[in-house]
Amino acid sequence: MLKFLSKIGDYTKETIQSARYIGQGLAVTFDHMRRRPVTVQYPYEKLIPSERFRGRIHFEFDKCISCEVCVRVCPINLPVVDWEFNKELKKKQLKHYSIDFGVCIFCANCVEYCPTNCLSVTEEYELSVYDRHELNFDNVAMGRLPYKVTEDPMVTPIREFAYLPEGTLSGHDLPEPAKRAGQLPQDIVKTLK
Amino acid sequence: MNPGIDLQGSFIELLTSIGLPPGVAKAVWMPLPMLLMLVGATIGVLISVWLERKISAAAQQRIGPEYIGPLGVLAPVADGLKLLFKEDIVPGNADAALFTLGPILVVIPVFLSYLIVPFGQNLLISDLGIGVFLWISLSSIAPIGLLMAGYASNNKYSLLGGLRAAAQSISYEIPLALAVLAIAMMSNSLSTVDIVNQQSGLGILGWNVWRQPVGLILFWIAALAECERLPFDLPEAEEELVAGYQTEYAGMKFALFYLGSYVNLVLSALMVAILYLGGWDFPIPLNLIASWVGVSETNALFQVIAGAVGITMVLLKAYFFIFLAILLRWTVPRVRIDQLLDLGWKFLLPVGLVNLLLTAGLKLTFPIAFGG
Repeated sequence: MLKFLSKIGDYTKETIQSARYIGQGLAVTFDHMRRRPVTVQYPYEKLIPSERFRGRIHFEFDKCISCEVCVRVCPINLPVVDWEFNKELKKKQLKHYSIDFGVCIFCANCVEYCPTNCLSVTEEYELSVYDRHELNFDNVAMGRLPYKVTEDPMVTPIREFAYLPEGTLSGHDLPEPAKRAGQLPQDIVKTLK
Repeated sequence: MNPGIDLQGSFIELLTSIGLPPGVAKAVWMPLPMLLMLVGATIGVLISVWLERKISAAAQQRIGPEYIGPLGVLAPVADGLKLLFKEDIVPGNADAALFTLGPILVVIPVFLSYLIVPFGQNLLISDLGIGVFLWISLSSIAPIGLLMAGYASNNKYSLLGGLRAAAQSISYEIPLALAVLAIAMMSNSLSTVDIVNQQSGLGILGWNVWRQPVGLILFWIAALAECERLPFDLPEAEEELVAGYQTEYAGMKFALFYLGSYVNLVLSALMVAILYLGGWDFPIPLNLIASWVGVSETNALFQVIAGAVGITMVLLKAYFFIFLAILLRWTVPRVRIDQLLDLGWKFLLPVGLVNLLLTAGLKLTFPIAFGG
């Protein structure tokens, strides 16, 4: 009889314990309801891309020397460099240059290895089109600069987590001169001198 | 006890004074509350779907529907309209007759149960003698429809979902009935109006929560399982069963299942409000307030205000429990089928029996407090 009663006691204790755990869980979910939404209301709000962001690649036609390094370092030999040897100038003359951004993986190896810096990465990531062939950018399309998020009057720019002041968790409703946490690269350079 | 406003009586009186025979007047009256209740239940569903989406979003630190109407209140309407215009598909090898009958059998009993939901002394369709047990018996028709839908879909997921729904409904009906039985024992009646009247008079102190705390928890867990709400949504567990018995359904037939599940949730919340939280009873007795202010209880304005307060109270209490159900949805993970049956048979059933026995004992020892 005593054993039976102690069993019942243990069972009751366990039940109360699990009920308390569920109560704690409910408190956590309830607490989440009063927090500000972390979501970014794209396309009305957009995150400012990080300075290391690797977006669509920008190309400057006049700087290119048609060396094809970009093709060799590309994981899938994606850039198409169409050039012709000009016998009078004894120089390669670039006719067309194109990258298909439907295939590109945005590793930016080409940017890294380009000897004349004619390639660079932009902040552009909105690459949706109705036909995949529209993503095959030629040198004219690649020469265009994207619209900056911070300059678009239709968009509220939101800072990414790494660019927030210390202790701030949300990029919404930031005070205007809020400086990011830690030292800026130029400050670090000063201390090195 | 004050009878309150009698809409039916005054309506029939008005028609007979125009010159209609009393029988015809009554026939004219009859469809009105039914239609009102159907519309009310549907609007209740729209509100709870919207609340579900908004509260879910808040619990996950999102915003939820925002642009479809103010604060996204029209989102459930848009959902419904979309389902209305979708193609009605019956799978090739499905049993077309049973496939169509399934959702109908699920929805009709749930709507029928609104027959006994009171919003005031006279504000209900019918004050039946069997009251709450009508609801319990009607809710056991739904698993037949679910089983039918699962079987007729000719799909293994649907069949498994249907079987699970049936097993779940059957095993949780018993603790539900036991919890209701304890209430019925205390109020000496099954009629919902009598149950509320038994709780009224003392304001918040008289409500059944204080006398039946275990019963309330028992009832709510069982009701969640009956509604297939999240900790117990095994019949439609999407990770294992795609969507359970709803897998093959589309368009209006799916909408019926969807509607049925939310109507059932609202109904369960209303039943909790009526059985445990004193239904239309205000936390402070209204006649006490009337005597403080110095208004007679038979004052017409007081009666109208009391009726409005009653409806608001029922809805507030019910929506509090809907809120709790939504919050639970994002707190508690889904149980396994064996845990579900364990909880039903090995925990809720014995606790329900002990609760019933304890209520009977307390009723014998303290007949004043526990309804002699």
